[in-house]
Amino acid sequence: MHQLTTSNKILVYLLLAIVLIVFMTPIYIIVSSSIKPTPIMFQKPPAMLFEPTWDHYINLFTARPFGKFILNSLIVALGSTAFSLFFGSLAAYAISRIRHKRMNDVAFWILSMRMFPPIAVVVPYYIIFKASGLLDTPLALIIIYSTANIPLTVWLMKGFFDEVPRALEEAASIDGYNLLQIFWYVTLPLAAPGLAVSAVFCFIFSWNEFIFALMLTGSNAQTATVAVMSFWSSDAVQWGRIMAGSFIILIPGVIFVLTCQRWLVRGLTMGSVK
Amino acid sequence: MSSIQLKSVVKRYGPVEVVHGIDLEIEKGEFVVLLGPSGCGKTTTLRMIAGLEDVSDGEMSIGGQVVNAVAPKDRGVAMVFQNYALYPHMTVRQNMEFALRPLKLEKGEVERRITETAVLLGLDELLARRPSQLSGGQRQRVAMGRALVRTPDVFLFDEPLSNLDAKLRTQVRLEIGKLHKRLGTTIVYVTHDQIEAMTLADKIVIMRDGYIEQTGSPQEVYTRPRNRFVATFIGSPAMNIVPATVKDGELAGDHISVPIPDRFRSKLTEGQAVDFGIRPPEIEQVKSENGAIAKARVEVTEYLGNEALLDLRIGSQELIAEVPANQCPGEDDEINIRFNPEALHIFDAQTGMSVEV
Repeated sequence: MHQLTTSNKILVYLLLAIVLIVFMTPIYIIVSSSIKPTPIMFQKPPAMLFEPTWDHYINLFTARPFGKFILNSLIVALGSTAFSLFFGSLAAYAISRIRHKRMNDVAFWILSMRMFPPIAVVVPYYIIFKASGLLDTPLALIIIYSTANIPLTVWLMKGFFDEVPRALEEAASIDGYNLLQIFWYVTLPLAAPGLAVSAVFCFIFSWNEFIFALMLTGSNAQTATVAVMSFWSSDAVQWGRIMAGSFIILIPGVIFVLTCQRWLVRGLTMGSVK
Repeated sequence: MSSIQLKSVVKRYGPVEVVHGIDLEIEKGEFVVLLGPSGCGKTTTLRMIAGLEDVSDGEMSIGGQVVNAVAPKDRGVAMVFQNYALYPHMTVRQNMEFALRPLKLEKGEVERRITETAVLLGLDELLARRPSQLSGGQRQRVAMGRALVRTPDVFLFDEPLSNLDAKLRTQVRLEIGKLHKRLGTTIVYVTHDQIEAMTLADKIVIMRDGYIEQTGSPQEVYTRPRNRFVATFIGSPAMNIVPATVKDGELAGDHISVPIPDRFRSKLTEGQAVDFGIRPPEIEQVKSENGAIAKARVEVTEYLGNEALLDLRIGSQELIAEVPANQCPGEDDEINIRFNPEALHIFDAQTGMSVEV
């Protein structure tokens, strides 16, 4: 990499600063509003220095069982992620390895599941889950989110599996392993970065999803994103609680991404062949 | 140790047939080299023996048992791949352990085998390294070690030296030869390098376009090639081929004619179009025209150290001769040459088959 001149360096840092400001401002507003006393919340210009208060956080957990909603979100997001990774990577492996002229059509068909607008299927889903008794359960959301997450996982993982040299699998088959063992011990570990990327996307999608969670859950399986919105009612908007809730919702996603990050390394198959 | 038999083995990919009903017997403990230019079906044949490719037709047996429908893992074979195929997420030790795990050995036995193999191949210092931290030659040895620990009945090598530099290639070639002497395991080895084939093989199988052209010991295929293809494929530089016609007890070519050696006389008919072959070292320079069979102009000389190669021209015919370097003539010199008639090979011009067959 060539050295940057001083003026170029200044330019780069300036651009980075702008980007940072654009991305961090909402987070600053969320965090600062969540600890601002209500009377000064809409003061103009915004109060930069104030006595922080934890009232919004306390109210958040006492007015409604917000802990339970977070737990629901976690169950739904982790459940859907696990489900999607398991079935998605198996399907992707099949699509990557089976040599058949219609295999691309199968892959496209799987991708096409993501093409309909979610709002179009809310009512049918509602009827189906009501009839099957799954309405207002985390399982309903896990199923729905997986229909969106599996195609994504299949497409991502197919790319990673395509990169794993077949010679490695052939070597393992001669060494005495069957197909599933080869998949588990050889192919999947080498596609670990793909699993990490897929996991991040699946988790974030499921964690953030709003429409289905709003329509298909009540007090039992409500997720945190929907619960936060419940502080927005026709007679009052409790901004403090909304901001406190929003901040808490941000945390698991960040932790999850950081956890997956160690797998997001390149060149895992280096040195295997040639 | 196992024997291997191929009976009319055919391989098709869809409508395309790439191996056309080959027959091959490999005896217990034999070192067999499949040799041929790229695309001749040698690797496909090896992969069929390994079980990585289905046999489309015919019968494949290992150790007397038909294995057409037997999975690779149950064939008792181990394979060294051209690109080594080491598991990159495992250390050298783990690579070997992984190969042993399906055998369900006791822990002590696993350790013993790994240590023994590592010492044999000089891998003991490298056991904790990953494949990405090894040089090409080291990777090659690990690939061999991984195959070796399993003490298989049959060893399969798919161009194992093609990714190594020339010096290392010679060294590893020697090691493979020693290994075979020591272990006595049946080996099937694929290469397009005739030096590897000549030095290692008990038996060479020369393939072209999905057919076996000749099977025999290195000496047999060199001294008694069955056809023109084998004759020119084996030996470096390649055998000179001269088109000629049988005429009055001579092979008459363009500006060059040689008396027909006695052993060929009964096999040739007057007027028959043939190609005769002579290997470069069998072409001699002679001082006087007496006893010479032709006068040749030296176009280019290539100095090799001990020998020199001469590009000769006789009329429209080009020949390559190999002479001791100290007798190397100058370029553009005219020299008198002669052949040892006993070293002559004669092929039918049309079929390309040796007239001795």
